[in-house]
Amino acid sequence: MSQVERVKPDLQFVKELQKVGGESLKKCYQCATCSVVCPISPADDPYPRKEMVWAQWGLKDRLVNDIDIWLCHNCGECSDMCPRGANPGDLLAALRNMTYRKLVRPNVIGSWMSSIKYLPILAGIPALIYLLIWIARASVLGTAFPLFKATEHGYEVAEGGKVIYGGLFPGDYCIDLIFGIVAILVILCFYAGIKKLIKGFDAMPKTFVVGQKAKPSFVESLVETIKYEVAQHTRFKQCGGDESTTTRVKGHMLTFYAFIILGIVTSAIAVGHWGGRIPGLDFLHAMGDTPLPLYNPIKIMALVGGVLLLIGIYKLTKRRLNLDAQKHGSSYYDWYLLGVIWAIAVTGLLCVLLRWTNIAVLAYPCYYIHLISVFLLIAYLPWSKLGHLVYRTMALAYARKIGRLPMN
Amino acid sequence: MAQKLGVYICGGCDIGASLDVEGLAEFVKNGKYSSNCAVVKTSPVLCSPESKGVIEEDIKANGLDGVVVCACSPRVKWDVFNFGSALVERVNLREQCVWSFQDDPAVPGLLETMAKDYVRMGMAKATKSNPPEVEDLKTTKTIMVMGGGFTGLNAALYSAKMGHDVVLVEKEDELGGKAGNMYKSFPLTPPYTEAQDTGVAELVKEVTSNKAIKVMTGSMVEELAGAPGQYTAKIKTASKTEEVPVGAVVLATGWVPQDTAYLEPLGYGKYKNVVTAHEFETLIKSRGLARPGDSKVPESVAFVLDMDLALAAKASKEEDEAAEETAAAPAAGAGEGEEEAAFVYEDKEVAKHLSYSSELSSLVALKQAGYVREKNPKACAYILYDHMMVPGVNERYYKAAADDPGVMLSKAQVTSIRQDTDGGLLITAKNTLIGGYVELKADMVVLPTGMVPVTAHEPTMNFNYRQGPHFPDLELFDGFVDSNYICFPYETRRTGVYAAGCAHQPMTMALAKEDAAGAALKAVQCINSVNHGAAVHPRSGDLTYPVFNFVRCTQCKRCTEECPFGALDDDEKGTPKPNISRCRRCGTCMGACPERVISFSTYNIDQIGTAIKEVEVPDDIVAGGPRVIVLACENDAYPALDMAAFRKKSWSPYVRFLPVRCLGSVNAIWVADAMSKGVDGVMLLGCKYGDDYQCHFVKGSELCNRRKENIAESLDRLGVEAERVEQYQVSIDEYDTIPELIDAFMEKIKPFGPNPFKGY
Repeated sequence: MSQVERVKPDLQFVKELQKVGGESLKKCYQCATCSVVCPISPADDPYPRKEMVWAQWGLKDRLVNDIDIWLCHNCGECSDMCPRGANPGDLLAALRNMTYRKLVRPNVIGSWMSSIKYLPILAGIPALIYLLIWIARASVLGTAFPLFKATEHGYEVAEGGKVIYGGLFPGDYCIDLIFGIVAILVILCFYAGIKKLIKGFDAMPKTFVVGQKAKPSFVESLVETIKYEVAQHTRFKQCGGDESTTTRVKGHMLTFYAFIILGIVTSAIAVGHWGGRIPGLDFLHAMGDTPLPLYNPIKIMALVGGVLLLIGIYKLTKRRLNLDAQKHGSSYYDWYLLGVIWAIAVTGLLCVLLRWTNIAVLAYPCYYIHLISVFLLIAYLPWSKLGHLVYRTMALAYARKIGRLPMN
Repeated sequence: MAQKLGVYICGGCDIGASLDVEGLAEFVKNGKYSSNCAVVKTSPVLCSPESKGVIEEDIKANGLDGVVVCACSPRVKWDVFNFGSALVERVNLREQCVWSFQDDPAVPGLLETMAKDYVRMGMAKATKSNPPEVEDLKTTKTIMVMGGGFTGLNAALYSAKMGHDVVLVEKEDELGGKAGNMYKSFPLTPPYTEAQDTGVAELVKEVTSNKAIKVMTGSMVEELAGAPGQYTAKIKTASKTEEVPVGAVVLATGWVPQDTAYLEPLGYGKYKNVVTAHEFETLIKSRGLARPGDSKVPESVAFVLDMDLALAAKASKEEDEAAEETAAAPAAGAGEGEEEAAFVYEDKEVAKHLSYSSELSSLVALKQAGYVREKNPKACAYILYDHMMVPGVNERYYKAAADDPGVMLSKAQVTSIRQDTDGGLLITAKNTLIGGYVELKADMVVLPTGMVPVTAHEPTMNFNYRQGPHFPDLELFDGFVDSNYICFPYETRRTGVYAAGCAHQPMTMALAKEDAAGAALKAVQCINSVNHGAAVHPRSGDLTYPVFNFVRCTQCKRCTEECPFGALDDDEKGTPKPNISRCRRCGTCMGACPERVISFSTYNIDQIGTAIKEVEVPDDIVAGGPRVIVLACENDAYPALDMAAFRKKSWSPYVRFLPVRCLGSVNAIWVADAMSKGVDGVMLLGCKYGDDYQCHFVKGSELCNRRKENIAESLDRLGVEAERVEQYQVSIDEYDTIPELIDAFMEKIKPFGPNPFKGY
């Protein structure tokens, strides 16, 4: 017999879970259909049945440190099959949402990210920063919607010039500096978050794994996870089986790789821009001098990435809109992420079009919104659903390390 | 004696196609009973209105006193072949002759022989039948309801609404019973999701204001003497003893909480904050939610439904006691024999009453968890169950109750309950849904209350019956006055007394209300049957009754002792005193009587014996085949035979069936008659017996089995193999095995060869 474990039921926690998306969790009567139908749940101690009863009893310690919530990719098969409409899939999603909200400090961002009420605050921060920059630049340039001509010393306002975003919002200070600071903060937050996450996992009793050969190191596990789950979506592909889930995998893959492409583009431009300043590496300028000409491979990549992103996000949104609301709830976390990505993709492509058509009064506001959207995506990453990119990857790697998931 | 018979032979339903119906008619006209046959007719469809008209005219024109209908089974078309005062004897040519016939090429003309046997048997039975002499009894219509709880109140109201005077006897000084002390009940009305007021107060008002209901509180029934329709109840009140004439009784004495000693292994008695559900209910109603120990309002209450600890402890204790008793037995034996001991009612309370109450315990825990949430919205209620039992519509309540975030449920095997320093309780449990072996702290623990029927503790009715003041064999149901028949839930072993509510089995108030209606209806049916001499159950409407020829009675008391229903009293000498309205007409007394002094007008020793003798037994077993008499219980075995025939099953053509009212009515002389006639074997087909009996008369098939041993002895003395007589247990749904059963018996007796009495 294992050791006696003291359980402390927490009524407040139950109510909290119900608020963040697990409202039907009390309907569960432990028939275990969910664990049986789940295509990817492990045979030992399968989820989501145990999570359902832990949630009913408000066993907070267990749930916040539960690694299995990251093993679930939320195909919703369990909720479809649940005879009581308890929606286990929603509960696990709610638990993940709770992690986004509470894992990383400052917690105030977590709570702002949990409800649409606080969106004005979140969006207001970048909106204000860039508005101030815009005003300052406008007073220097003498116009809020300047047209530029490239000269040897940079851009100069000129009649009959062109819309150049870098002219109004100089990249070095407005983009790279701000986003550089934001990125460092985000990385620090993630570092703290990952540490906390793993500490939580460590606190949970380990499953004894029969037949596991050598324990892999965390790095080995992480490499495997990135190779399979991240790059190839292996578990995600096994999750669910109907048309809706295939759409989901396709949409997710497209979005994921679109971001990879766009990430490469951004990096290439940064390398070109900053690298080009290093003496001897001048040739890199060709890569970093925005706006790039249309024939530049980097530009082509950017456009392809943008279009792929639109297609991917379209698929994901359409699927989510078609879900049976009785069985699969969509939380604010889901809509926030979809919304922000939509905003980035649409404003990004619009910016290109407006620059080509040279309509300054529309182009700059569009670019302004684009900057805000990107800020919304990146600055709040540890508290948003996109945080799963990091948390899930870490959890899956950890799961491999402790044998909860097999090595390939 | 029916002397002027009309014999009608049907040619329909394959009978005409297989048998020479006209030839059969000729056989009747010229046969042994020709002098009794005023009319012999055939019809292609005897059940047609035309043919029925012909029979009715014949009865009128020829003054027939009996009709022998040679057609289908008596179990069908009984409403067609009903001719008022003329006796009807049915000869089952269709099912048991034509449809189930299996030819044996070695012996020609078997079907015709069989048909002739059956027709002759029918004629014999008809000539030995009389119309029953019906006696109108002077009866009272008053219904006595025992118990003024929820069930009793409802039963009283139902009875009054059906036009009967009611005497409602309640032991306590107030009406209302257990439900009256409850804070709320489980849902009684749609949508069955919320606990609600019991409504007992209104019910009491309605009862006390009803002029037809005489309420006697603080009263006990000291004695119930007489018979249904003519009972006299001696009711003792605080000041005097009153004698009240009563027609029938609804027994709704309900339950009392089980001895809490059973709950000691779970901390009851040792820790103040461990209470029973019954106590918790009272607590909530009187003081609200507060701990008994320190009046603190609990933040958490655990409802422990898993009773393994209690039951296991009890089981080991009972073993010890049993061992002690055996050790002490010789000492006790010394005191016996001095004087006949006064009647002592053996207490029937057992640990298992906790298990019997499981369904209620589950519901009560859900309900009381709701109290905790209602009284303290911050509090949690934990329910630790081994089985959550919420059958039927109550599942809706379970769903609704479990939907409260503060009501937390888990299956659990509770291993210990200890007190913490702050007066709270630490519960450890294994095999929980929350995972493995857990410890849980609660401010209070509520344990279930086992519901023990009052009838487990006392005889309750205090019958003035020869067989004693109590219901017999209640230990089968651990004191509940339950009926073994799902079809007749209100029957008790005493005609005229119908059990309802928790005396009957632990039940919800919704069910108790239905039970009250059912028992009240049975009481009304009883009064309206016995007033014209008819049987109530299960031979409803039967007007025959046992008639005693006291001249030959030896006062052996077998009939009075063996009657399953205590119908017979006796005088000091032991002469039986029949109480017709208590009697269920099974004939067990007739089967018991060694002097054969008991008979029914349409069913008696002579009649069946004569019918058996009408079976033509060929002298040569090789040329004519063997013969076997099957005495089949008409409640289950006989319909099973009909069903088998209906499904085209067939069996040996050498068996002859005779329906009997119950195997309990089989008198040894019939077997002797058969054997002396040269029959090679006798099969007794009856209901299952034992603790899980299916006998409609409770003891009939069991008694028959016991008597069979005596028969076997007599056969041995005669030099006939005892194995030629065998009893089989057949239930009504076992029609598919009947042909095998018969054929196996034929195989079994084959090695014995012909009955040595053949040809005498």
